[in-house]
Amino acid sequence: MKHTRRVVITGMGAITPLGHTPKELYANQLEGKSGAGPTFRFDARTFPTKFSSQVKGFELGKYIRNPERFDKSGLNTKFALAAAKDALADAGLLDNPKVDRTMIGVYLGSGEGSHDFPNLTLSMALVTPADGYKVDTTGFFQHSMSLFDGAHEHEVEMHTTSGHVANEFDLRGPNYTCQTACAASGQALGEALELIRRGDADAMITGGSHSMIHPFGVTGFNLLTTLSQRNDDPTKASRPFDLNRDGFVLGEGAGMVVLEELEHAKKRGATIHAELVGYGTTADAYRVTDSHPEGRGAIKCIKLALENAGLKPTDIGYVNAHGTSTHVNDLAETIAIKNVFGEYAYKLPISSIKSMLGHLICAAGVVEMVTSVLTIRHGVLPPTINYETPDPECDLDYVPNVAREVKVDRILSNSFGFGGQNVSLIVSKYVA
Amino acid sequence: MAGIARRAVFTGVGLITPVGSTPAAYWESLCAGRSGIRRISCVDPSELFSQIGGETPDFIPKKIISNKEHLKGLRLMARTVQMGLASSHLAFQNSGLELGKFDPERAGVEFGAGMIASELDDIGKGAQVSLEPSKDSVSLAVWGEKGLKEVPPLWMLKYLPNMPSCHTSITLDLRGPSNTITGSDAASLLALSEAYHILLRDGADLFFAGGAESKMNPLSLTRHNLFQELSRRNHEPETAVKPFDRDRDGSVLGEAAGCVVLEELSHAKARGARIDGELVGFASGVDCDRDGKGFALVIRRALKQAGIGPNDVDHVNAQGHGTVRGDRWEARAINDVFGTNTPVWSIKANIGASGAASSMVELIGSILALKHGQLPPTLNHVNPDPECPVWVHNRGLRPVTKPYAVKMSFTDAGQIAVAVIRKWEE
Repeated sequence: MKHTRRVVITGMGAITPLGHTPKELYANQLEGKSGAGPTFRFDARTFPTKFSSQVKGFELGKYIRNPERFDKSGLNTKFALAAAKDALADAGLLDNPKVDRTMIGVYLGSGEGSHDFPNLTLSMALVTPADGYKVDTTGFFQHSMSLFDGAHEHEVEMHTTSGHVANEFDLRGPNYTCQTACAASGQALGEALELIRRGDADAMITGGSHSMIHPFGVTGFNLLTTLSQRNDDPTKASRPFDLNRDGFVLGEGAGMVVLEELEHAKKRGATIHAELVGYGTTADAYRVTDSHPEGRGAIKCIKLALENAGLKPTDIGYVNAHGTSTHVNDLAETIAIKNVFGEYAYKLPISSIKSMLGHLICAAGVVEMVTSVLTIRHGVLPPTINYETPDPECDLDYVPNVAREVKVDRILSNSFGFGGQNVSLIVSKYVA
Repeated sequence: MAGIARRAVFTGVGLITPVGSTPAAYWESLCAGRSGIRRISCVDPSELFSQIGGETPDFIPKKIISNKEHLKGLRLMARTVQMGLASSHLAFQNSGLELGKFDPERAGVEFGAGMIASELDDIGKGAQVSLEPSKDSVSLAVWGEKGLKEVPPLWMLKYLPNMPSCHTSITLDLRGPSNTITGSDAASLLALSEAYHILLRDGADLFFAGGAESKMNPLSLTRHNLFQELSRRNHEPETAVKPFDRDRDGSVLGEAAGCVVLEELSHAKARGARIDGELVGFASGVDCDRDGKGFALVIRRALKQAGIGPNDVDHVNAQGHGTVRGDRWEARAINDVFGTNTPVWSIKANIGASGAASSMVELIGSILALKHGQLPPTLNHVNPDPECPVWVHNRGLRPVTKPYAVKMSFTDAGQIAVAVIRKWEE
């Protein structure tokens, strides 16, 4: 498909368990480091899963003035503000009076602020009889109306993050937040791309931010038995495509990219990191909990992205996989790649950086995009670490354990969300 | 994209509201000036600041979701999700679409959603067993070991915001794009806009675009009472919400769901679909200064995209929350673009504020108004406020005189969404 308006990436920012800049993130990935360790966001020592992949040493005050304005906000908003600041600065769009700020928008795939676990559970605990499950709602109101903090509760709402980013950095264009679980920031990038293509914005800051490393988040995932419980060896827990995987590792963080219309970027002399050339999105329409076993939605999604980019399968040099380290995902994704790429699938390097970062949920897709851009620039593929025992059902080249020097010009990045939303993006080296 | 420009039309409506859950019943209530605001009945609201709201007590999901396979899934859905799914199934029935007769890979879903509150009974027991002997806190250590096991295993799935769209795509076999947009009252209008643009760029033939939210549960009621500007006129529920009125003191909470089928025109015509209206323009933006100028710019951009001017617009369907600052801000923006020449309508006094459902349910009001050629009145607007310089249509049925209507919505973070629709004519 030929697009009259081309869209390039002119800025990037990332706050992740493996570094607070894209550069640091990429360097740590090439060394095969893991971000996982004992959970410190809350005391998880009695939970089935006691570890996670957390952002360390983060201070919002390094990025914006008067950070106490965001004391009531969740980590999602704090990470987002920091990553957005870096991405805008990288693009030269921070406080730049020469651009029309009503034509710069925000599209995030971002999650909720953290719930007030102590006060919510206390308000219920005090009014639930020991011998039953029925909570006395009048009693609940009596406690919760005095214990809860309204400002904090407001910050739990998901759209507040993109609102804060817009207001903090004076971005007055289209403003969206999507919440499609693990596909969210990938979908945000794809729809932001289309917003610019159709002329509704000159530039979009887009990406995602999320932290579910809080008691309710871990409770929910533990109950669904989707998290790894390899508590004795956290750095070995995320092992996409390995036979002995036992679930994903919960991560947190934010990633942001500035997408910009090519001529707009050229006119102001911006540095162009790469070009976003293809986007496909589909639904499995199968089950809430499982991917379609034959990868139905994923296959169509990858094909749509290729068509959207006007590329053929052999134009892709590397796949940055969704690769969650769960049996259903890794298998369905492998099947889908084989279906679309045929024989070429066996020659196509594929890796999952979730092996190192864990799963950043709403922020996963964009951090994978940031990594892909740097992979094109530096020509080194990040590895899938902890790949020790090949799963006979997953028999492709997953770039096991060690980074690999390969020059690639075009990368496919997949994000497949819980509930069956699929997103594929294709990023290309920028060629004038 | 070469060839004839693609157009998007409304070909199906599904509704669950406090004043009617069929298009006909909803329309009749709007025309009759009926309010669905009552004292809250789902719980004893005596401890709340705002004890009134718009409920839909006669919503029974299994009357709408009749397929046995799908019925089983209902227990894994919070009320918000059930309402969303029911609205998409009602829209499906209303559209005349038949499974197997459209290409599922070219059919998508876009829903607006918000934070879906957990039912207390799902986590109450876990909290109770984790209570410290001192009864002043819950022990995280005990929760992790024992409390957590008292929570239903699939708990999280009941409350994920993307569940209305996921269950819709699964039960109606919609394999095209699927997205969930969050954005308070603007969420479902933003979701609709994305469906619109995907249709225009030939990424699908049809969409189920909707929004659903129930605030009628203990956790949502507490949270919103603490951060949202809500009316305390508890003794007069039906006249509590006063959009753009001098004496307004806030909104009231509600629950609702609305879904439309948005379909590419030639696809709709080919199957002989009934066409209810057309979506012709949309814009979104942020008014960082909150002075109404940025808001007005978004309205102008939506009109420009529709290729029309302010004088082509029959009425403005406002968010009209009945809040002190929100109404003033919105009125300034409307005044900036339309002066006082265009009637303004708010449905909030009829149904309350139901978050992610609001803008879709209200947009459907304008689709029906253009279709029936009559504009119903805004309730409870008695004393105009000089701070809100707009002409609020507040009495009787006004004949529709122009083919376009504007629906606008915003969030308290300053995010704005504006859609322009057109009465359907060949």
